[in-house]
Amino acid sequence: MDVRTSLAAQGYAATRPAVGANAVPDGPAGALAATARDFAATVAEGEAVAKAAMVGQADPHALVQALAESQLAVETAVTVRDRVVEAYQEILRMQV
Amino acid sequence: MSTGDLFESSRAATSAMRAQAQRLRLISENIANADTPGYRRKTAPFEQVVEQGRPTNEVRLGPVQLSRAELDRVHAPGHPLADESGHFSGSNVDLVIEIADAREAQRSYEANLKLYEQTRQMSRSLLDLLRR
Repeated sequence: MDVRTSLAAQGYAATRPAVGANAVPDGPAGALAATARDFAATVAEGEAVAKAAMVGQADPHALVQALAESQLAVETAVTVRDRVVEAYQEILRMQV
Repeated sequence: MSTGDLFESSRAATSAMRAQAQRLRLISENIANADTPGYRRKTAPFEQVVEQGRPTNEVRLGPVQLSRAELDRVHAPGHPLADESGHFSGSNVDLVIEIADAREAQRSYEANLKLYEQTRQMSRSLLDLLRR
């Protein structure tokens, strides 16, 4: 009874085209969108493994690994968001 | 998020920890059955995980093999399994070997755990740079 951590990510990737039909723009916006989707996939994977572990289908190693990845992904997202908001407020404070 | 060297190394460490835990399970099965007549010692090789035809950096335990070593002949004339000479076949588990093997599995598990902690700490310190 071993849940592969990549299985959830693969399943997520397979259903992705059905959900988001929008074409990804090139350049920084596209990269940002890809990063956000990557983040969502990592968190979804963590949730899937956590659920599987709760019903005894995943071993604790997979659980720890997936949760650590989710935690790191959330921390990265929060940090980046803080920096963006900070930069935005800096612009708002500018004298015109 | 899913790629990157730090993630790769933490995944490799996790797979090694899982493999060592499975190895320890086999060892405890061997020790538990040390007195079972006719029991053969279980071992399993380590092998690289192959995903979609390509070898990855992860490790896993291969198929379980039974030791072909000679079974221990136990002298017990009154035993129900004893033959004409008063002997019966015990297990071929050597407790000293099993304990040494268990210790090795523990050390290897600790090494991988340490590496996992270090990987995590490195990615966290990298993230801390952004917060300043």
